Amino acid sequence: MSSRVWIFLGVAIVAIAFFLWSAYRRFRVIGLGQPENRFDSRGKRIRSMLFYPFTQLCTLSRSYLFSINHAFFFWSFLLLIAANVITLLWGLFPGMLPGGLYPVLALIFEIAWVIALLSIIISLLRRLVFRPKYTLPMTPDAAITMSFFVVLFVGYFGFQASEIARGVIKDSSLMPVSGWLASTFMGNATETPGNVFWWLFTGGLLGFIDYLAYTKHTHILASIPNCYFRSLEKVTTQPREDFEKSKTLGVGQIDQFRWNDLLDTFACTECGRCTDNCPATATDKPLNPRTVIHDLKYNLAINGRLLLTKKEAVLPLIGNDHEGSVAPDAIWACTTCGACMEMCPVFIEHVPKIVGMRRYLVEEKSQFPEELSKFFENVKQRSNPWGLPPPERVKWAMPLRGKPYLPGKTDYLFYVGCAGSFDTRAKQTTLAIARILDAAGISWGILGMQEKCCGDSVRRLGYEFNFDKMARENIKLFQDKKVTKIITACPHCYSTFKNDYCQYGAEFEVMHYSELVSNLIKEGKLPLKQNADLGKVVFHDSCYLGRYNGIYQAPREVLAAVSGQAPAEIAHNHEKGFCCGAGGGRMWMEENLGTRINTKRVEEALQEDPKTICACCPYCITMLEDGLKEKKAENNIKVLDLAEIVAGALENKDRAKNSFDLTEK
Amino acid sequence: MADLDYKGVWVYIEQKNGTAAGVSWELLGAGAELAKKLGTELAAVVIGNNAAQLCQEAFAYGAAKVYLLDDPVFQYYRTEPYYKSIVQLVNKYKPEVLLLGSTGVGRDLAGAVATALKTGLTEGCTKLDIDDKGLLLMTRPAYSGNIMATIVSPNARPQMATVRPRAMVMPVKDATRHGEIIREPAAIREEAIGVKVLEVIDSAQQGSGTVGLTNAEIIICVGRGVQSKENFQLLQDLADAMGGKVACTRAAVEDEIAPLDYWVGQSGITVRPKVYIACGVSGAIQHLAGMRDSGVIVAINYDRQAPIYEVSTYGIEGDCLQVIPAMTSYVKELKEKKS
Repeated sequence: MSSRVWIFLGVAIVAIAFFLWSAYRRFRVIGLGQPENRFDSRGKRIRSMLFYPFTQLCTLSRSYLFSINHAFFFWSFLLLIAANVITLLWGLFPGMLPGGLYPVLALIFEIAWVIALLSIIISLLRRLVFRPKYTLPMTPDAAITMSFFVVLFVGYFGFQASEIARGVIKDSSLMPVSGWLASTFMGNATETPGNVFWWLFTGGLLGFIDYLAYTKHTHILASIPNCYFRSLEKVTTQPREDFEKSKTLGVGQIDQFRWNDLLDTFACTECGRCTDNCPATATDKPLNPRTVIHDLKYNLAINGRLLLTKKEAVLPLIGNDHEGSVAPDAIWACTTCGACMEMCPVFIEHVPKIVGMRRYLVEEKSQFPEELSKFFENVKQRSNPWGLPPPERVKWAMPLRGKPYLPGKTDYLFYVGCAGSFDTRAKQTTLAIARILDAAGISWGILGMQEKCCGDSVRRLGYEFNFDKMARENIKLFQDKKVTKIITACPHCYSTFKNDYCQYGAEFEVMHYSELVSNLIKEGKLPLKQNADLGKVVFHDSCYLGRYNGIYQAPREVLAAVSGQAPAEIAHNHEKGFCCGAGGGRMWMEENLGTRINTKRVEEALQEDPKTICACCPYCITMLEDGLKEKKAENNIKVLDLAEIVAGALENKDRAKNSFDLTEK
Repeated sequence: MADLDYKGVWVYIEQKNGTAAGVSWELLGAGAELAKKLGTELAAVVIGNNAAQLCQEAFAYGAAKVYLLDDPVFQYYRTEPYYKSIVQLVNKYKPEVLLLGSTGVGRDLAGAVATALKTGLTEGCTKLDIDDKGLLLMTRPAYSGNIMATIVSPNARPQMATVRPRAMVMPVKDATRHGEIIREPAAIREEAIGVKVLEVIDSAQQGSGTVGLTNAEIIICVGRGVQSKENFQLLQDLADAMGGKVACTRAAVEDEIAPLDYWVGQSGITVRPKVYIACGVSGAIQHLAGMRDSGVIVAINYDRQAPIYEVSTYGIEGDCLQVIPAMTSYVKELKEKKS
């Protein structure tokens, strides 16, 4: 073997050992995280790990044009791994020149290199010339990574060209780039240029690998494992807290996150799709989901090594300005709308992290916006956000003379929810749903005074201890009443029963009324006349209905059936729907920072020039109506719940059958 | 069995900077009735620094005796010196009934005292009486206000209750009354107290308008229907004429009709005045949550469907900008007639 092989082996072993050592040092801190089982369903996980990255659907499905660039870069990168290995071997064992299909492969590699180079140029231009607002400016880190690539490019083609010039490669007809380089720049070459380029190439490759572990480009290493360890279910809830064993409640220090949360921070390449879709960021709040993940990674870098050696952490996780990594104002600004998670190409789970930190603030520190103390107290004492007397829960049903849920006799429990029971505006939706259910001849009943708050806001706000109690009580109540099917008016109750309560082993068939109504219309069980006086309707997607539970079509189909045409879309719709601003317990907080989320959403809706804004959530309705008032547009445009629109379109005979009037209070 | 050594009805006089809380005088009125039924005497407990002038006032409101603890450690309210001193006093003189106002301070103190004395405590009573066995009947709303629960403490002494402000009638003041002042020392020295008061930040002195609002008996509330800052004065005039305070809704703050300090609602201030006049207030639930426990609610709104009418005692269907000035001049007229 030639001396070159020995030198290469020496350098490569050192470089790879260094890489492994740095990667180990960098990643071992993940082991500090709390246990979480992400090792089940291996087959499914392997499929997920192969499918999302290799098809690039992880990013292509997020409707960003730039994703195409990333996809081409990724695929060419994969091909170039093969090209690189061949080039390495070739340089080491010059006699072993690949034959057979190699000319075809060489062509493919050359194309791949050109595509990769083009996508790097496009990326550069995107960062330097036409930078979208949500992306970060070019960092030295990114510049170095890109220059490594250029070095590899030069090394590869220089080597190939010298081999052609030397006559080692006889047929260069399928190697347009190297062939052209050889004929233009290298007349009758010696071995030297080839050696120089090969070493340049090899050095670049090994250097790149070593550099990788120290940059944000750990993304290249961590994102594929993150696709393996992702939550196989959509992230619609937060993990339960163990009140018996755990020393600290919530997450107050970096090692109190789950291990997969820590892995998330390495998988992030700071692309900014989360930030681009965050309603808090869009309204100048101190929350920026990308920054949160970045700051967690930084915190882990600072504290991780100390914690591994059982020393005290030096950088607090939560604190203002330079006192901690994540500011409390950022933590409280989150509406838990889930847009960040929906858009993240590598399945980072932002919301559970934020809720984890809220839990720490609420349960360990009692530090939360002061408005919440009233909310927490009210929910705890009277199981509704306003602290109203529980008997008033049934007032809305007075015209119906009560309609109790009778175990064994009633089919559906109509779970009205707090807003639908107490809030005059939402009560109209409740009555509308009642009318629809009656018109369709459905057997339904309510829990009346026994109904309690579902606990959605309580959980999202981090008061897990109380949520735990509420969930257990509600589940017991449902089981005692032998409830199997639940219809909810509010998407928050719906998602809580469906996604949160199942953590307690409670399985109910939960339906949001929009799904039920859509089915009833399809089955022809709802006698409708078309309603003409709605004008142009736009539909606002509620986060907990759409993003959380994938119900996008049902309400649109219902609107189409009632109004005769599909509703118009607001610029942000479906998966990219823009929160009204009230989710995640934000309903009960003041919005003192930045501009108003609801105003922004209403402004966006107004661009479609609607006569009616339709939504399916009492929070959304409140926020949109307030936004309209803010824009002084409340006299020309109506905000209506889908149920109100449907109830208004019921045929008259069905109206007559129900003796109560919508306006009755 | 109850210890028969315990005799007498005591009322704790809550004071701040030498001024007593109104509820303390109300309690002397209620306490006098109880003492009469029990055939015992009524005593007041005054704790403070240079608070001796409250003794005469206590006699004027019906106390026969005042236990006075006058010491610099009582300059500011702190749980430890106050509760320990009361406990020492109770152990020495053994009253059978001890009443406190259900205020922030009163509730804090009562809990600590009752715990130390290992006796019962009924919080937030609205009615007090004596049964035929001589037991104190303490009545308070229970189960979210759905029932009234009457609670007795048959064995432990003293029988302790806190009473909500304005639940009892303010007794007639009679400055000619006199009584006996018994001075007692503080139970604890400054050095032994863990909590030091460094600075008192009083929102009242910082010019915040909200301070008067929580205690106001009459509140005139500005809603979006008031339309403009200029019209705000109309409501201020009515408030001045009636001796009340002006409050506002969230929407009025948003429209810059009224300042944030006046905001009543779920995340603003919660008020419980005797009279609440809602002007141009639609009555969104977030607002109702802050005022629905008011005594009499008068709604002035042109929209008959407005949810404020669901909670109002009286409704005036009309434009508040026309109704308010009429009310103001009528109130003034009445006042002139009276004087």
